[in-house]
Amino acid sequence: MALLKTFTIRSVFSGTHRAIISSLRSYSSTPVVAEEDDAPVEIENPYKKEKPQCILCKLNITPDYKNYRLLSQFQSPYTGRIYGRHITGLCKAKQALVESEIRKAQNCAYLPYYYKDKAFLKDPRLFDPENPIRSHRF
Amino acid sequence: MPSYELALMLKAMPKPELKTTLTRISHAIFNRGGIIRNIENLGFRAMPYKTSSHSLVHREANYFVFKIDTATQAVADLKEEYSRDVDIIRQRVYKIPDKADQTCTLEQELLPPAYREEVQKMIELGKSQVNRFTYKFKYNSGLDYYPFQK
Repeated sequence: MALLKTFTIRSVFSGTHRAIISSLRSYSSTPVVAEEDDAPVEIENPYKKEKPQCILCKLNITPDYKNYRLLSQFQSPYTGRIYGRHITGLCKAKQALVESEIRKAQNCAYLPYYYKDKAFLKDPRLFDPENPIRSHRF
Repeated sequence: MPSYELALMLKAMPKPELKTTLTRISHAIFNRGGIIRNIENLGFRAMPYKTSSHSLVHREANYFVFKIDTATQAVADLKEEYSRDVDIIRQRVYKIPDKADQTCTLEQELLPPAYREEVQKMIELGKSQVNRFTYKFKYNSGLDYYPFQK
């Protein structure tokens, strides 16, 4: 009996609900938006790309003239020249810092000017000089 | 007092002599009211290039780095004193840079030129200046003669 009662109440209620909505649609220009669980929610763009960072910023390394082994990785093994920003892929500030620290290290006789130390030649390469970001001048 | 790093290259010598040299170097700092925060020994190794000092050619050196706090006026004085020291091959003084916490600007730098701020600034600057490739002299300048060589 109780089951039947609830059933009838439900049916009546649903019927009235529909009637209300239809009346709202027909009479008012701005329909009342019901708060529902499956309504679209504001979230951050999940497809947003990760911010590109240079290798020194990513690993939070500040180049130092005493760490000449790291600095030698930014030098050409053939001529000792400092590789440019288009090859190293560093941000402007870090590239300037690397260049100034290499100059300091060379001045302090930690690093040679015209070649790379033989012991450092097999160090892992941080970038490929043959495939620069922007093309070479030469 | 600002902090400095004193990078010294000392000539090859036995340990007791090295000790006396280091104490002599330290006392020069203390006598001018400076303090030593740290002494780093980077070891004895071959120099990347031969260096002549005090009429001797050196190919190997003891590398030391002193972290010191001293008055700015005292630095030149110290350098002068160390330049007279025959045991010191080479010396450099660097100011310890302030910790600059900056964010990586690589993202902006990798943008196409038209979107880069510095390029936009250059274009703005170019617009405000006379383009000497397309500029043509106007003859209605009020002068009754041509002012340039033809």
